[in-house]
Amino acid sequence: MQLIWNGLIVGSFYALVALGYSMVYGIIKLLNFAHGDIYMLGAFAGFATLSAFGISNETSIPLLLVIMLLSMVTTGLIGVGIERIAYRPLRKSPRLAVLITAIGVSFTLEYAVRQIFGPNPEAFPVRLESTGFDFAGMRITGAQIVLVVIAAGLMLVLAHIVERTNSGRAMRAIALDPQGAQLMGINVNRVIATVFFIGSALAGAAGVMAGAYYGSIDFLMGFIIGLKAFTAAVIGGIGNLYGAMLGGLLLGLLESFGSAWFGGEWRDVFSFAFLILFLTFKPTGILGARVVERM
Amino acid sequence: MLTRTQRYRRALSIAAATGAIILMAGCSGGLGSDGDTGGGGGDEGPIKLGMLAPFSGSESAFGDYMKYGAQLAIDEINADGGIDGRELELVVEDDACDATAAVAAANKLVTDGIVASVGGYCSGATLPTLPIFDEAGVPMVIPAANSNELVKQGLPGVFLINGTGTQQAEAAVTYAEKSGATKVGVINDATSYSADLAKSFVDQGKAAGLDVLFEATVTPGESDYSAVATQLAKEQPELVYWTGYYQEGGLIVRQATDAGYKGTFLVGDGSVDAKFAEIAGSGYTDNVLGTFTQTPDMIEGAENWIADYEKLAGGAPGPYSTQSYDAVRVVAEAIKDAGSTEFDKVVAALEGLKDFDTFAGPLTFTDDHTLSGGGFVIVSIDPATGNFVLKDDLQG
Repeated sequence: MQLIWNGLIVGSFYALVALGYSMVYGIIKLLNFAHGDIYMLGAFAGFATLSAFGISNETSIPLLLVIMLLSMVTTGLIGVGIERIAYRPLRKSPRLAVLITAIGVSFTLEYAVRQIFGPNPEAFPVRLESTGFDFAGMRITGAQIVLVVIAAGLMLVLAHIVERTNSGRAMRAIALDPQGAQLMGINVNRVIATVFFIGSALAGAAGVMAGAYYGSIDFLMGFIIGLKAFTAAVIGGIGNLYGAMLGGLLLGLLESFGSAWFGGEWRDVFSFAFLILFLTFKPTGILGARVVERM
Repeated sequence: MLTRTQRYRRALSIAAATGAIILMAGCSGGLGSDGDTGGGGGDEGPIKLGMLAPFSGSESAFGDYMKYGAQLAIDEINADGGIDGRELELVVEDDACDATAAVAAANKLVTDGIVASVGGYCSGATLPTLPIFDEAGVPMVIPAANSNELVKQGLPGVFLINGTGTQQAEAAVTYAEKSGATKVGVINDATSYSADLAKSFVDQGKAAGLDVLFEATVTPGESDYSAVATQLAKEQPELVYWTGYYQEGGLIVRQATDAGYKGTFLVGDGSVDAKFAEIAGSGYTDNVLGTFTQTPDMIEGAENWIADYEKLAGGAPGPYSTQSYDAVRVVAEAIKDAGSTEFDKVVAALEGLKDFDTFAGPLTFTDDHTLSGGGFVIVSIDPATGNFVLKDDLQG
């Protein structure tokens, strides 16, 4: 039971980051390798805001939510900026060029943050209350509950936007047929910018949550989680939103059981081996084949 | 036709040869360098001491502590007239705690003409630099890295002035016995230093009759260590020894406490840093102790030294400031004794040092070039400041 719970916690981080990955891929077929660094930027944006106000060692959920919203707006705008500067000029170029640009963006972000905040890990000034209690054979802490509730809330909001709003409809239309959508009077550039904004904001939120939950942030924290989120997106079916959520949670569970069986040092071996297995035997992912409409 | 690089190299080697001739001509008697000391730097100008330390990457906090400690010793020696009238100079390079970067930086130091190395923080990064310094005839007095692997190579020029993993593990076992713990656990982060210390602890613990019921390895650089935290909470060893660095250590303490682990958390010297408490969070450090070589703030009568350091560095000294300070003094003493910067003579002088006064007590090297006395103490975290303070000096 404890293993399942641990897996779900990690999985919810993966899922939030994987959503942005999947949305961007779904709409412009770009593997945005800088996406994990947006997560890192979110954590540092929160850190910078808190430091600017001189806040340290707080355990307040409303404060966390405010900081999270601020960071989401920041990373969202940065995401839009990255798309405008680094990806849009290359939209007609071969996919490989854009992929390499994404890696360049990733390093740019990492080392820019290193220059600004220094290479040392920083302690995040806001922590979640983490007194634990035992429930059904699991050890659950307050922080974990807050985390899962926030993650679930964000995913519900996203589902609502995509399913029920006009811009969501526009996103799905572009994902299906970009040229057709343009002919129907959809402003493709604006919709793509929206997708980058939402995806980056979600990653930023996950970054702040990770800061508040784990308490330590550093400029390379986005690298591994970016790869893990990519793995989650592939497992769930890349380009599919529900697949990204499912893939994230599933990957979290796999890792949790994997490290319990083989030992913690095998965790990354285990999860990336799964990526290879999926790419070999079911490249469309779990939900990839069934859902025709991608977004 | 020569390419540009070749031309450049040729120009360099001509310059070097000319320089060597001039040097040899000027070398009438004096210190008697035979020109084969490799990077001996001749007998003119300052005596260069090289230091590899991490100034970037996750361990970068330690680089400055080491640099300023060494610089302080050099300033003092120079103020006293240097060694036989020659000034000392510190050449610092960043190894980023990374093997590849360290090798490149070591080569650079050798090219710069250092006569001895007084650096080395991460064992994993220091290890690959040993053959480079050895080949160049540069003796090494390593202030911080302390894996047994460093001396196991049997290179004649390698000296450790920080206690080795064996000695540190011995302190951990001694403390476990003293505190009455019988069921112990150990977690390492798969780096050379950490795995080595963990293995030493297990071997010595078993020999001392401790029951090692928990052994785990984690991957450094992650955030989530819930798997090992959960296991720890289940097994509940009375004392668990974490042999990695502070970032992961802080996270593991926090996550293990949240998961319900109640025993003592003993950490190795790589985790002894004020950041540890910051990362773990307030209220999570009551049961955290560390094995550590003494730092100036734990040593009585070091106030003047600390004041000097603060004047130089503009901040308080930290881990390995004193060891780096001592490394420079040890090397300077050996060069003075040898009357030369020649490899064999300096090494012989280092081996011949007897009860040389250092922060960690009187220093004499054993046959394998480690300290005869480990000098490890037990530290705990001051809840008010988050700094590690002396708890038990393990004497008697």
